[in-house]
Amino acid sequence: MPSLKDFEESVKRPTWCPGCGNYAMWRALKHALERLGLDFHEFVVVWGIGCHGNGADFLRCQGFHALHGRSLPVATGIALTNPELKVIVEAGDGDAYGLGLGHFVHSTRRNVDMTLIAHNNQIYGLTTGQVSPTSDHLMKTVSTPSGVLEWPVNPTGLAIAQEATFVARGFAGDIEQLTDLYVAAIEHPGFAVVDVFQPCVTWNKVNTFKWFRERVYKLEEKEGYDPTDREAAFVESLSTFHDLVCTPDECRVPTGVFLRIEGEETYQEGLEQLDGPMWRKAEAPRDVTAVMDEYLT
Amino acid sequence: MAETSAPYSVEEVRIKIGGQAGFGIKASGQMLARAFVSAGLNTFDLTEYPSLIRGGHNVFGVRVGPEPVPSQVEPVDVLVALNQETIDLHLDELGDGAAVIFDPSEAEGPAGARGVPVPLDEFAETAGAKIMRNTVALGAVLALLDFPMEPLEESVRRQFSHKKPEVADGNVEAARAGYEHVREHSPEPVRRLVPVAGAAPQLLIDGNSAVGLGALAAGIGFYAAYPMTPATSLLHFMAAHERDRGVVVKHAEDELAAMNMVVGASFTGTRAMCGTSGGGFALMTEAFGLAGVAESAVVVMVSQRPGPATGLPTWTEQADLRMVIHAAQGEFPRVILAPGDHTQCFEFAWRAFDLADRLQTPVVLMLDNYLSENRASVPVLDTGAVTVDRGDIVTAGHVGEGYLRYRVTDDGVSTRAVPGVRGALQLTNSYDHDEYGFANEDAAMRDAQEEKRMRKLALARGLVPPPLVEGADDASVGLIVWGSTTMPARQALEWLAMEGVPARMLQVTTLEPFPADAVVRFIEGTPRTMVVEGNMTGQLESLIREHCLLEPDDSLRRYDGRPLAPEGILERAKEVASRA
Repeated sequence: MPSLKDFEESVKRPTWCPGCGNYAMWRALKHALERLGLDFHEFVVVWGIGCHGNGADFLRCQGFHALHGRSLPVATGIALTNPELKVIVEAGDGDAYGLGLGHFVHSTRRNVDMTLIAHNNQIYGLTTGQVSPTSDHLMKTVSTPSGVLEWPVNPTGLAIAQEATFVARGFAGDIEQLTDLYVAAIEHPGFAVVDVFQPCVTWNKVNTFKWFRERVYKLEEKEGYDPTDREAAFVESLSTFHDLVCTPDECRVPTGVFLRIEGEETYQEGLEQLDGPMWRKAEAPRDVTAVMDEYLT
Repeated sequence: MAETSAPYSVEEVRIKIGGQAGFGIKASGQMLARAFVSAGLNTFDLTEYPSLIRGGHNVFGVRVGPEPVPSQVEPVDVLVALNQETIDLHLDELGDGAAVIFDPSEAEGPAGARGVPVPLDEFAETAGAKIMRNTVALGAVLALLDFPMEPLEESVRRQFSHKKPEVADGNVEAARAGYEHVREHSPEPVRRLVPVAGAAPQLLIDGNSAVGLGALAAGIGFYAAYPMTPATSLLHFMAAHERDRGVVVKHAEDELAAMNMVVGASFTGTRAMCGTSGGGFALMTEAFGLAGVAESAVVVMVSQRPGPATGLPTWTEQADLRMVIHAAQGEFPRVILAPGDHTQCFEFAWRAFDLADRLQTPVVLMLDNYLSENRASVPVLDTGAVTVDRGDIVTAGHVGEGYLRYRVTDDGVSTRAVPGVRGALQLTNSYDHDEYGFANEDAAMRDAQEEKRMRKLALARGLVPPPLVEGADDASVGLIVWGSTTMPARQALEWLAMEGVPARMLQVTTLEPFPADAVVRFIEGTPRTMVVEGNMTGQLESLIREHCLLEPDDSLRRYDGRPLAPEGILERAKEVASRA
C-alpha cells in the first residue's frame, strides 16, 4: 500500500502561501489515505477551482480537477458509475457554498457514498481577497469595502438540516484531529461532509490561526454530546460566530463530529442496476429487441 | 379550402383531431395511427399543443397511406372537431371532398363543407363514460374511410391492456357506435383506405425513443438530465428501462449538474449521455467545454425549440446550430450530428457513442420538437448493424509505468486508462495541462496540447456520417437541408419528380466538422441550389458561405414555430428551377 511519501512522488511542490491552512489539510489527507490502506487504483480525488484546487497538482492519485463549483456533480457521476472506487471531493468555500451551493444541498439529501472536504477560509484567495459565502457579517473586503451585508452560509447547519448522515468540522491548526475526521468520513457509508476552517494568511486578517485557537473546542469533550442526535447537532451548528468583534468567551467554535448516522441506505445501494463498474454495460452491443418490440404495431 | 396545392396521392388520407388540451387527443390519435400501421399502412403524425396541462387548443394530425409518407402535408380530409373552436381554426385547411365530424350538441358544424354530425357525448356515455368521446370519433373516422374496424379494436385493447377489461370493452363499444352511426347516416366515404395485406411489420416510433433505443444498443450506462421539452421523453425512456436494461439514470438538480455528472461518469469509462433543449444546453455549456479539454467521451442530445429564453416551449425550430457549434469558451473539437428522420435517430445515436469513444471528445445529436416528439411508421431498426468501438481505452488490468493520460500523439487520441486500472495515475483536468494532466502554462506545452486536441477533428472527418444525397442525378434544382427539415424536403422531392422537375437533396448529416468538399461538389454539380432550414438567419447557409466560399441561389426559412411545409418547399423549388 502506498505510504505518505508515495503520494508526493512525481508531483509538484505546493505553491500555497507560507503558513496557509491548506498545507495542514494536504498532510492530513495523505495521513488518512495511508492509514486507510487505500491503494492508488482504489480511490479518486476530485477538486474544484480555487487555492485548494491547486492541490490537484500536489497529490499523486487518480485525480480529476473539475470546474469551479462543480466538483460534487462530477464526483457524483463517478460514484454512481463505479461502486468499487472511494470518491473524495476537495472544494473551497466559494466552490462548495457559493457557485456550488445547490449541488451541496442536493448531495446531502442524496446520501451518495462519497466524502466532501471543504476548505473554508471565509475569503476568496485565488482571485485576491473578495468576500466569500462564509465571510463574517460586516467583514470588509475588496468587493465589499463597506462591509458585507449578508450573513454567512452555515454549511454544517445546512447539511444537518438536509438529511446528511455524517457532518464534521475541522480546524487546520489540528492535523491530528483532521486526520481522524478524514478517516471517519471516508469510511462512512454515505455522504460525509467535513467543513474545515483553514485560515488564509494573506487575505483574511480577521479569522486567523490565533483567532481560531482562542475559540475552538472539541465536541467529543463536551459532556453528554450525542452525535447520533440530529437536533442536538443542529443546535451545535448554530453556535457559530457571525460577529467580527466577539470575544473568545462570547463565540466558541465547536469542532469534531457533529452528526454520524449509521445504517442509512446510500444512493448507490438504492440502485439495483449498479452491480459493478458501468463500463461493463458497453462491452458489446446491448440486445434491445424486446424494447424495440414495444413499438411494433 | 386549402390554398396550397401539390400532387397529393388519392390513395392516402390526412386526418386531424382538434379540441381542448387535457382530453387525451394525442393518445387517441396515436391509437388510430397504430391501427393503420398494424393494417400495413404508413403514417406520419404531427401534434401541436400549447405549454399547458389543461385548456388551450390541441391538435393531432396523422397522414396515412399505402406508400411511405415522409412528412405531414397541409390539407385535411377528415377533421374531427371535438369543439367549435376546432372548426373555426381549421376550416381553411380542408381539402377537396373533406368532411368534418362534430357533435351537434356542442358545435354548429362547418359552413361550406361537409359536416358529419355524430352524437359523441351520448354514445360515449352509453358505452360507459364521457371520456370515451374521442374513441367514438375514431370509429366515425374509419367509417368515413370505408376502413375495417378490427385494427382499431385491437389497438384500443392494446392501449387499455393495463386497465380493467371493462375500459377496453367500453372503448370498443364506443368506437363501434361511432362507426355504425356514420355507416347509417352519412355513408358516402371521403375516400377508400385499404389495408395492405402481408406488409412487413413496422414500428410506430418518435425520434426521442429512437435515440433512446440507439443509446441502449450502444451500451449506455449513465444518463442524466433535467426535464425540458422537447427532450423530456428521452429521460422517461431511459428511466423506464433503468432496471431491465441496466442504466443508472439521474434526474439531476439542474442541467449544470447533469452535464458535470455525465463528464464524471465518462471518467470511469461508462458510456454516458445527457439530453436537453437549447435553454438547458446553455446551462451545460461550461461543462461541455470541460468535456472538450478533459477529453471526455460524452454524448449530448440537444432537441431544439424556438428561443430565445423560454421561447415557444412546445413548438419547433432549428435555430440552435450556431450556439452548439460555438458553445463554450476557447476552442476544442466537437462532433455535431443531425438525424433527419426517425431511422437516422437510432443509427446516429449509437454511432455517436462510437465517435465519442474513438475521439474522446463531446458528440452532440441535434434534433428538434418536430422530430423528437412526433411518430412515424418505420421499418424495424437495423440492430444488427450496431457496433461498440470503445477506441483507445483500458478499463481493467494495468497500464505500464509512465502512463500519460494526455500523451501527445499523431492523431490526437491518447490512451484512456480509467480509474480502477492499476497504474492509471493521472489528473484529468479542466486547466490546460501537460501530458500527465498537471496544470501547465508553458507556451510550447499549450501549443502541443491544443494542437493535439484539434487533430482529432481530422480523424473525425473519416469517421462521421457523410452527407446524404437523394433524388435525380440530372437535377435542375438542389435542396440543401439539415436535421428534421429532411422530412418535408424529401416529400417535396417526390412531388417535384411527379411534376417533371428533376431535383435532388443534400442532407448535411454532420454539421461539425463541416463536410465542405461534399457541399462544394453538390453546389457546383447542380444548376440551382437552395437552402431550406427552420431558422430566421440561415445558420446552415452561413456555414456554407464560411466553409465553401459559395453562395447558394436561394433560401427558404421558417421560424414561426412550425416545421417547414413540403408544399412551400415544392413551390419555391419550382420557381428556383425555372430561373434561367
